[in-house]
Amino acid sequence: MIPDYVFFTCDNILLAWSVYAVLLSGNLSFAQAAFMSIGCYAAGILTTQYGFPFYASIPPAMALSAIIAILFGFPALRIRGIYLILVTVGITFIVRVALENMTITGGVHGLFGMSGADQWDAVGAVILVGALLYMVSRSPLQRLLDVVREDDQVAAGLGVNLTYVKLVSFAAGAAIAALAGALYGHYLTFVRPSNFDILVSIFCALYVILGGINNMWGPAFGAAFMTLLPEFIRALQGWRPTVFGVAIIVLLLVRPDGVLPFRTLSARWGRRG
Amino acid sequence: MIQQILNGLIIGSMYALVAIGFTLVLGVLDRLNFAHTEIFMLGGFVGLVVIQAGGPLWLTLPVAFGVCGGMGLVVELVCFRRIEGDARITAALSSVAAGLIIDDLLQKVYGTDPPSLPLPGYITDAGVRFLDTHLTYLDLLIVGVTLALMLALQLFVARSRTGRAIRAVADSHVAASLLGINVRRVTQQVFFLSAALAGVAGVLYALRTDIANLQAGLTFGLKALAVMAIGGMGDVRGAVIGGLAVGVLEGLAFYWGLGGYSDLVVWIAMILVLLVRPAGLFGGGVHVRELRA
Repeated sequence: MIPDYVFFTCDNILLAWSVYAVLLSGNLSFAQAAFMSIGCYAAGILTTQYGFPFYASIPPAMALSAIIAILFGFPALRIRGIYLILVTVGITFIVRVALENMTITGGVHGLFGMSGADQWDAVGAVILVGALLYMVSRSPLQRLLDVVREDDQVAAGLGVNLTYVKLVSFAAGAAIAALAGALYGHYLTFVRPSNFDILVSIFCALYVILGGINNMWGPAFGAAFMTLLPEFIRALQGWRPTVFGVAIIVLLLVRPDGVLPFRTLSARWGRRG
Repeated sequence: MIQQILNGLIIGSMYALVAIGFTLVLGVLDRLNFAHTEIFMLGGFVGLVVIQAGGPLWLTLPVAFGVCGGMGLVVELVCFRRIEGDARITAALSSVAAGLIIDDLLQKVYGTDPPSLPLPGYITDAGVRFLDTHLTYLDLLIVGVTLALMLALQLFVARSRTGRAIRAVADSHVAASLLGINVRRVTQQVFFLSAALAGVAGVLYALRTDIANLQAGLTFGLKALAVMAIGGMGDVRGAVIGGLAVGVLEGLAFYWGLGGYSDLVVWIAMILVLLVRPAGLFGGGVHVRELRA
């Protein structure tokens, strides 16, 4: 049981960070289940049918997911706000139907025989991605993302290439989701397209909202909290969506910025006190 | 082929009914209500309860109208009232959470297997024939009810005093409240109407598929959201035309042997429409301005 807790907590933290990476440039994505499934299936097909070792299958899977994200995102990221949310919902459905209809992915019956991931791989992935996000949060890139998120017209006026910044963050989110997907598939050893339902996308986005969107610790907290809480409080088992829904509504009413709303401390922030 | 087109029109009229609910709330209040999909799903279960209790078939429609409308008021109170001003995405997310709760609670009562609706055969099997096609009385009922509701809504918004207040609020909340319109009450009326229409659509959908399905919200309901985006945000006429068009396209996908891909039709159509005309085919007003800003 304990390895399961560790694995799913880490995997959900990765998914929450993948939403956060997209949110850094101001877009909320409900497409993470799609990119997770792309990563899962790409890595799974590489290991089961082409004999790749597990670790070697991850980079191509992440790259494929990022490329598909760019293909979808290049036209779509000009759309904003609620409209972009609709497009990302659409991406989740499109990818799922595609997986169900392709023969190489096993269709609705799913993909078998992956193995090789354990909970320590997930922990390692969280540390790696976390370190990367932390480096971004302390780099000038964070300021660029801040201006794009807070006011994209100002950003455009400053000569920032909005499309490019949004695309990079969308693709980075897709790559992180693909990593989570590859781990997920190789831990469960068996996946079906229905594992990557729109509900998964919704949950990933809500982890981030629960924890707070202003820093990388909020999403991690939200994901860990919502993964572990129902496991440790017996009475809540089986009531996960309800508990989660109530938590989100209450939180949005009393603390709209999330549980951990502070900014990540950066060098610049420290100097200004 | 004609049969598939007719099927498409019947499914499409239900899409349109759900999409009208989305578009009313979005057009008048500038809010996206994701819980709408689950209210639609709830409608099917209300129908199930009425039929299981031995009620006549016609009774399902007014009961679903009332119960789901009431649920719309609850959603408005819980998810939307306290979130003011410009926070569209916050409000959308809190309605997503409300949808999760409705879905989970219903699942606690009915389990994950969709319960089937006991329907008399004279309505599901018997029907009229013309031009090699077969329309059951149920199909005719669906089309009749949706058309009647759409017409009634159109007259209500265009002619009645309440309808005028709704249009005023859609134009400007501030100006409407200065003119003495109770904006909160209009908001509630819009939410009630939108949810009630979704409830009726939910009953009709459950009758047509013979089951009250927990998945209906996140499949059929979300597709209706895409239909709304295709037709134009806040445009009732667009929702109707978009719904019928998408229904027919899906029917044709089945006819051409692409049934497995029929779920793709609506999403691809939505993405293409949003790329070419971001406000939707018939959209206008505030949403165009917002997108161009």
